[in-house]
Amino acid sequence: MSSPSSRRRLLRAATSAALWRGVVGIALFFAIWEAASLVKLPFLRHVPAPHIVLESVIQTVQTASYWSAVYISAKRVAIGYIIGVVLGVPIGLAFGVSRLFKSTFFPVFETLRPIPPLAWVPLSILFWPTMEMTVVSVIFLGSFFTVVINVLGGVETLDIRYVRAAVSMGATPWQVFWRVIVPAASPSIFIGAAIAMGLTWEIVVAAEMVSSVGSGQTGLGATMWQAYVGGVIPLIITAMISIGLAGLIFSAVIWQIGAYATRWRRVV
Amino acid sequence: MLGFAIVLAAWHLVTAILEVPMFKKIPPPAVVLREWFTPDPFFGVSVYTPLYYSHIGYSVYRAYTAFALAVLLGVPLGILIGWNRKFREFTFPLIETLRPIPPLAWVPLAILMLPGTEPPVIFVTFIAAFFATVLNTLLGVQSIDRSYFRAAQCLGFTRRDILVHVVVPGAMPHVFVGLQIAMGLSWVALVAGEMIAGKRGLGYMIYDAYSMVQIPTIIMGMLTLGFLGYFSSAFVRYVGRRLMAWRAF
Repeated sequence: MSSPSSRRRLLRAATSAALWRGVVGIALFFAIWEAASLVKLPFLRHVPAPHIVLESVIQTVQTASYWSAVYISAKRVAIGYIIGVVLGVPIGLAFGVSRLFKSTFFPVFETLRPIPPLAWVPLSILFWPTMEMTVVSVIFLGSFFTVVINVLGGVETLDIRYVRAAVSMGATPWQVFWRVIVPAASPSIFIGAAIAMGLTWEIVVAAEMVSSVGSGQTGLGATMWQAYVGGVIPLIITAMISIGLAGLIFSAVIWQIGAYATRWRRVV
Repeated sequence: MLGFAIVLAAWHLVTAILEVPMFKKIPPPAVVLREWFTPDPFFGVSVYTPLYYSHIGYSVYRAYTAFALAVLLGVPLGILIGWNRKFREFTFPLIETLRPIPPLAWVPLAILMLPGTEPPVIFVTFIAAFFATVLNTLLGVQSIDRSYFRAAQCLGFTRRDILVHVVVPGAMPHVFVGLQIAMGLSWVALVAGEMIAGKRGLGYMIYDAYSMVQIPTIIMGMLTLGFLGYFSSAFVRYVGRRLMAWRAF
């Protein structure tokens, strides 16, 4: 960490024009926001100035109810997402390797895929006995379709000559699958998984908002909706920032896992 | 086709014949189809009622308005960010700061900021499509082979000529990939926006049907959304193919 070269690199990064321009860009945004609420622009009538939002953020992160909302949303995302990936990867691979399976079920899959995940919410509420299962199942749907379509794309871009080469050297179909197809599709598997992760935080928020109308619900989406109903606008923005950060952290974890699992691709 | 038959048969089996307890609230396929295609629908919405087309019309209008705004603002912005280094250094960090906030998290704020019922829904849909468009356009500009720029400069192109003849056509394939993604995302955001804030549209129809326990109408709305989403993506693909006739794909 403190080796001279890394320190020099850090120094160079801190003094680079690109970094400071970025800081200026972001600072300008907040300055305009602050100024606009100072002069009370009509469409910002209800939107508090950044310093009020900052106060709200500092206050909110000290409360236990905030962290329990974060935990509940994160748990739902994790469960729905893991089920989506665990089922999506094998089904995507099966679509890729079996012509019979693909010609039978792919049209059905393609008919259901364009239905937005949120359109499943009402039916899911009726279908599943608890709200918890409803939200998780909608997250599952969102990640499942994304993963399947990316995995299938990965298998289909595989150069057929690799399969032929493996077969002519005496590989069994099983070996072709595990040694050729799965490694070739793995970058697409992780890209699909990362895209799906980006979607899940969007879905959990909306699902919690839609299903929280009326009943006392939990999670960051519900926190946000209750803040909206109660007119506590700084809390709405705090929730927005939290959701953005949470999505960013979860996605970063998936990218890291993906980069590690496909590290042979790294060009050093 | 066989796949559809298997799925419909399984649906019929669990709802109408076996009556599995989990599916007791889900109507069998025949009920949904009858409700959908009857001139005299039990719950008031079918292909023969004007209400059905009014919901479709509102959803399509919102989705395409938001999408058009996202294309008009997002593509030029993405190209500018990719083409001009200083502009990128000033704006891109800000975009990357705002991007992780999911479009649907904007819903309450959009309702407070914008007047009426249409602008908030369109705004949320726009946000969803906008970031996907900007990022993919930028990716498109960055994917252009550096030697094209050098070749153009050797041939005496000005910076403007490079923008028009190298950057824009070079970024096109990625732009259209981005637009397809943006179209899909805008339908996702639209439905949620309509459920939470809308007064008309398919998302509202589904949610309204849910609160009145009109389950066949819910399923009708879902399938209609599926078709509309599918055709919208196919439309973007078609336009892309026509505009990029030089690419055989």
